Amino acid sequence: MKIGILISTVPFVRGGAEILIRALHAKLREYGHQALLVRIPFRWEPPQKILEHMLACRLLRMPGVARVVALNFPAFYVPHEDKIVWMLHQFRPAYDLWKTPYQGLSDSPEGQEVRDFIVRADNSYLAEASRIFANSEVTSARLKHFNGFDSDVLHPPLPYDHQFSCIEYGDFIFAPGNINEAERQLLLVQSMTHCRSGVKLLLAGKSESEANSDAIKVAISKGRLEDRVTFLDRFISEEEKVDWFGRALACAYIPYDEDSYGYVTLESLLSKKALITCNDSGGIRELVKDKVTGRVVDASPRALAEAMDGLYYDRAEARQMGEAGYGLVKTLDINWDHVVRVLTA
Amino acid sequence: MRIILATTATPFVAGGSTQIVEWLHRQLEIHGHDVELFQLPVSEAYGEILDQLLAMRLLDLTQHGDRLIAVRSPSHLLRHPNKVAWFIHHYRSAYDLWGTRYQTLPDTPEGLAYRSAIVQSDNVGLQECVRLFCNSGVVRDRLMKFNNAPAEVLYPPLLDPGQFRCGVYGDYLLYIGRLTHHKRQWLAIEALRYTRTPVKLIIAGCPDPGAEPYVFDLQHLVAKYGLEHRVSILSRWISEHEKVELFANCAAAVYLPFDEDSYGYPSLEAHAARKPVLTTIDAGGTNELIVNGYNGLVTPADPELLANAMDSLYKDKDLARRMGEAGEQRIHDLGINWDAVITRLLA
Repeated sequence: MKIGILISTVPFVRGGAEILIRALHAKLREYGHQALLVRIPFRWEPPQKILEHMLACRLLRMPGVARVVALNFPAFYVPHEDKIVWMLHQFRPAYDLWKTPYQGLSDSPEGQEVRDFIVRADNSYLAEASRIFANSEVTSARLKHFNGFDSDVLHPPLPYDHQFSCIEYGDFIFAPGNINEAERQLLLVQSMTHCRSGVKLLLAGKSESEANSDAIKVAISKGRLEDRVTFLDRFISEEEKVDWFGRALACAYIPYDEDSYGYVTLESLLSKKALITCNDSGGIRELVKDKVTGRVVDASPRALAEAMDGLYYDRAEARQMGEAGYGLVKTLDINWDHVVRVLTA
Repeated sequence: MRIILATTATPFVAGGSTQIVEWLHRQLEIHGHDVELFQLPVSEAYGEILDQLLAMRLLDLTQHGDRLIAVRSPSHLLRHPNKVAWFIHHYRSAYDLWGTRYQTLPDTPEGLAYRSAIVQSDNVGLQECVRLFCNSGVVRDRLMKFNNAPAEVLYPPLLDPGQFRCGVYGDYLLYIGRLTHHKRQWLAIEALRYTRTPVKLIIAGCPDPGAEPYVFDLQHLVAKYGLEHRVSILSRWISEHEKVELFANCAAAVYLPFDEDSYGYPSLEAHAARKPVLTTIDAGGTNELIVNGYNGLVTPADPELLANAMDSLYKDKDLARRMGEAGEQRIHDLGINWDAVITRLLA
């Protein structure tokens, strides 16, 4: 089948979505389909620009393509008679982030108007889709809540074929990811000042803002945590990552209201490591149930410290939860066979 | 440097324009640049052209990258404060093909309005470029004639000319290229029947979508002239390795397209293997590269004259060798290499 994959993207921003679409592209081809990846530039400030990009997508065509799979806003506006939407996330400033500190849309006088327009247009063009999937229960629930559309959850598998495994249950909590405010690594560091056990923390990833990485470094030195917190502010190789997952006591991933469970969660559970997350972390909770496959606690330094200490003192429990997480991933059928089958059905 | 590379493509149609972008992308990365590639889908149907022109105008890249390099039309309509275009061809129906049988725009007031809108929007996009480059003298002349836009020719190199090698100057001529009518593989077959030597011909390449009847016609022609044991038609995708071997042992390459915009990669590949190129005076851009008697032979598009040239290349292996080596020198003299291209595009 000739399949076009559509995604809107801000130039030079290469996050999880970018990795996912490249994997999807490669996997469709591996399974014998002809696949074309179409990345469409996006810009969302000032708000007027959002409308212009919505219109641009509406004006584009995909001739000679049997089916398109669109993954986000406004890429799913591109018209096509056989369009599947696999929604990774909506334009959140117009929805769940509206009037929160995490967006700027509601701060401008035209914001309300633009928001209403986005919701109306989303409703029109979602109706064109022959099927709608969401990457998580959170995204699916939002589509229902804000737009009234039903969708099936289609979990994104890991975008590469690394073999994660458990080597040992060491003495450190591993927290990989992009270092930024939304992923709240600073909060993890602050929690460490409340820990009573010998638990250590390994933060690893490239920071997206200097201010944030400086704040983390200051928190480490102010808390005199140099011996217990390691902050590797750089890209980490896949080999390093697999190794640290294998050797960690448990992992931590505490973004604010993430749409999906995140690769870190999947990698942690595949390495049979319990995951610490927060009850406001969003989609991660689809895989992490408190005291079953990890810990789900308040986003406060004390609560996080208690969870870390708990895992350090009771390694048998840490192991048990990690193994339960591994079993859950297998049960949920999160793999490319399933994704390709569903998207090409 | 952070570079946005933008182009357009009809989905699932690969050709010279997708190749040039793919290779430029890789070479920019090899040269240490951070490249963001946008390959925007377009339809060739004229009724959708205006929508697409508007879409290009609306997509906003102005906040990102130190430079925008726009390749295939109409990506030069994308806005950027530091935009260069490496222009490879117009929407030709509105330009040089207007008034010919290849014109796809209707000859109506509506068609005229489309034509005028295309030319005017091209003028805007081209004028915005801080520098304008093109891929051949043919395109340079058209840009001057139709858009009054002076452009500098930057000949597109092969991704990796070093992979080609010269084996022997064998007993066959090689015609590599997409199997499609205007490439005139049929003319090479017509010529072969007039040859006096037993020179052979290998025709190899993918048929264009929908060109299966053309391939059938070629096979029919071969049978009609009883040339089955002298002509092979490999109607399929040819791997790089296979291509290298085919070039390595041919006597010469044949490339007979009608009025192409640029010299075509097969000519470069032949020279990279130190083989001369046989072409015609009406082949278009190929004539910018091939100088008759120096690095190849150029004849009128006449089967008997082509047959004479084919015989010479078969009989006189020294001539073939001399012209093949001159071909390598010609590539060098014209500065067809990635260092030169990238230096100019980023100047």
